Amino acid sequence: MTTASDTTARAARAGSPAAVPRGPAPARKRRTDRRAWGAFLLLTAPVLIGLGVFKYVAIGWSLLLSFSEAEGTIALGDWVGLDNYRRLFADPAFGGSLVQILLFTLAVVPVTFASSLGLALLVHRVRRGRAVVRTAFLIPTAVSYVVASLLWKMSLFNGLPAGIANTVGGWFGMEAVPWLQTTEPPLFWIALITLRLWLQVGFYMVLFLAGLQAVPKELYEAAALDGATGWRLLRRITLPMLRNTSVAVLMLQFIAAFQAFDEFYNLFYGGISGTSSAPVQTPLLHLYNTAMGAQNYGLGSAGAFVLTALIVLVTLAQGRITGFGRGEE
Amino acid sequence: MSARRTELSRRGFLAGSLLFVAGAATACISDPIGGGAKGAGTTLNVWYHAYGEAGTQQAVVRYAESFTKAHPDIAVKVTWVPGDYAGKLNASLLTDGAPDVFEVGDFSEGLARRGQIAPLDDVYGPAKASFNKTALGYVTVDGKPYGVKMIDDVIMLHYRKSVLDKAGIAPPADFAALRAAAKALTTKKAKGLFVSNDGVGEAAPAMVLSHGGELVSGGEVGYGSPKAVEAITALKGLHDDRSLLLGFTTDWWDPSAFAQGVVPMQWCGLWAMPAIKTALGDDFGVLPWPASAAGGTPYVRVGGWVSCVNAKGRKVEAAKSFVRWLWVEQTDLQKDFASAYGLHVPPRTDVAAATGKLAEGTAKEAVALAARYGRSNPSTWDASVSGPLVTAAAKAVRGQGDPARLLADAARQAQTAVDEQLS
Repeated sequence: MTTASDTTARAARAGSPAAVPRGPAPARKRRTDRRAWGAFLLLTAPVLIGLGVFKYVAIGWSLLLSFSEAEGTIALGDWVGLDNYRRLFADPAFGGSLVQILLFTLAVVPVTFASSLGLALLVHRVRRGRAVVRTAFLIPTAVSYVVASLLWKMSLFNGLPAGIANTVGGWFGMEAVPWLQTTEPPLFWIALITLRLWLQVGFYMVLFLAGLQAVPKELYEAAALDGATGWRLLRRITLPMLRNTSVAVLMLQFIAAFQAFDEFYNLFYGGISGTSSAPVQTPLLHLYNTAMGAQNYGLGSAGAFVLTALIVLVTLAQGRITGFGRGEE
Repeated sequence: MSARRTELSRRGFLAGSLLFVAGAATACISDPIGGGAKGAGTTLNVWYHAYGEAGTQQAVVRYAESFTKAHPDIAVKVTWVPGDYAGKLNASLLTDGAPDVFEVGDFSEGLARRGQIAPLDDVYGPAKASFNKTALGYVTVDGKPYGVKMIDDVIMLHYRKSVLDKAGIAPPADFAALRAAAKALTTKKAKGLFVSNDGVGEAAPAMVLSHGGELVSGGEVGYGSPKAVEAITALKGLHDDRSLLLGFTTDWWDPSAFAQGVVPMQWCGLWAMPAIKTALGDDFGVLPWPASAAGGTPYVRVGGWVSCVNAKGRKVEAAKSFVRWLWVEQTDLQKDFASAYGLHVPPRTDVAAATGKLAEGTAKEAVALAARYGRSNPSTWDASVSGPLVTAAAKAVRGQGDPARLLADAARQAQTAVDEQLS
């Protein structure tokens, strides 16, 4: 008894040294407040300073750059107002890249969403060896886009008759084709979509699995007593209970798709001419070439802000439509 | 007891964090490179792109060490940059960590006009007369040289003698013959010609020049001209025939496709000749990119790398002395660099003449081709000028639009970039 209360008291003291005011003692309270603030600042300062210097200062600088003529330099001073933005919107290549990234998003997001949800439902039903199956699908998430792109470019989808995709195609009487260079029909999309699918599906599957495991068993039992089975269980219980997870997954996928760069760059990089012969340019690729290739940092920064605005807009719209962040009814 | 421990550990954590921050700060302030080891007053940072031939990296480190032996007060730190060299270099040049000496593959006048690279007229000295004219002209802006050419690369068409003989095909003398040969050599299992993985990047400029067009001349972008349109339309013919190898595992600068017998004809550089010789013996020949039948000239690209001094760096004089010592004075090292790893042509004519490997067989033919047909890219040929041509040509060969309009738009876009460079 004594030991217990003793421990509690100690624990309380240890847990919150600044709290437990004994009677009115404002001066002391202020001092402890200051101490708490000091500790707070000391502990968060490294992260805040790091974020500030490497993120917010850089972002702010970039915003200022987007209003200046900055070629071959990142010095500010040569203000041109909205010229960079005007030039960007007049550039059909940038407009085209926005259209292409929209198409890519509309293709890759539903495919990844459906595959990861389907996989999660299947893996959730596996009784034995679930961890093994889950790990097998999760492992590609650990592979970098660059490595996967090289794998796709050099061994799966190369243009040689001995390439894996061409060999498989050959079994069905298909002629060997250069997958990444064929635009009619646009076979390069197959390489792009399968690559992102392979890399991402495991990660989103795990998110869905977590959601599935949080669904109370009683719901299924009650529904089973009422005679609901299979498809109805899925439609009436599982999917509604996964709503929050689904919305989060969708949002993450949208943002990731809009930021696509790595696989486009690595699959179509052609040395000295860069990626200029690529059949498809994403906005980030276009901006990379503008800033890093042509060294027009003002124009590149302007594009980065346009793209950010677009991502924010899409995310907000999506949140509005799907009701992300609203509590459960 | 437990409470005291908790309190202690919290305080201990704070103290620990403080110590860590202090330690990290000290570590950041002190220079990890050591500011030029062993009494050297200056450390030069020298950048190279990652050459593909084995031994090159060790060689440039060895040169740097010999330089320090000759100039004990200047240490040299060699940075070997794999991947997107131009992108990394451009980004680095904006910072304090910029290299003092760096090489560039596509020399751009813009670098000189922006004051990024230093004029090197005092670096050449009396040896200037022994550099070949193309190499000097390439780096000269407003009468002053802004770089020293380290190597000339001869880029041309390679063909398998035995394969062409067997098919009864003569080495193609004009573009129509090349197209016919590529088509004839294409089978169900193999393609006839490899120009690059996209079939455009290298071929588009080659086609424009060999059809009598211009890329950029006198500050005017020339690839919107009718001749250029004709050239790109002809290139579309090659694509329509499906006789080009596309999407190989390595790109055109690597001789694997040719050396492994995957294609009988490939656009590649002299640097690959040792590897090709090892694989094929004498069973190959070299050709210029053939001219169009009507009024064009055969084309051989003379590329290579140029050593430049960062004018915005703090060690311009030391950097100049390094460039002078290595790329002007040390003829033995120049010969070693040009011929001991890959094969290149030293830009100093006297050194080139003394390089035995260039004086015999196919290499000799290549040097002769370069002397006769060799052209360097214009000195305004950076990504913002070459990119539009490649993009337009890629669309044209895929049939995504009218070549004349695509090229006219591209030329207009590139003209803006050229004007910006020259202003």
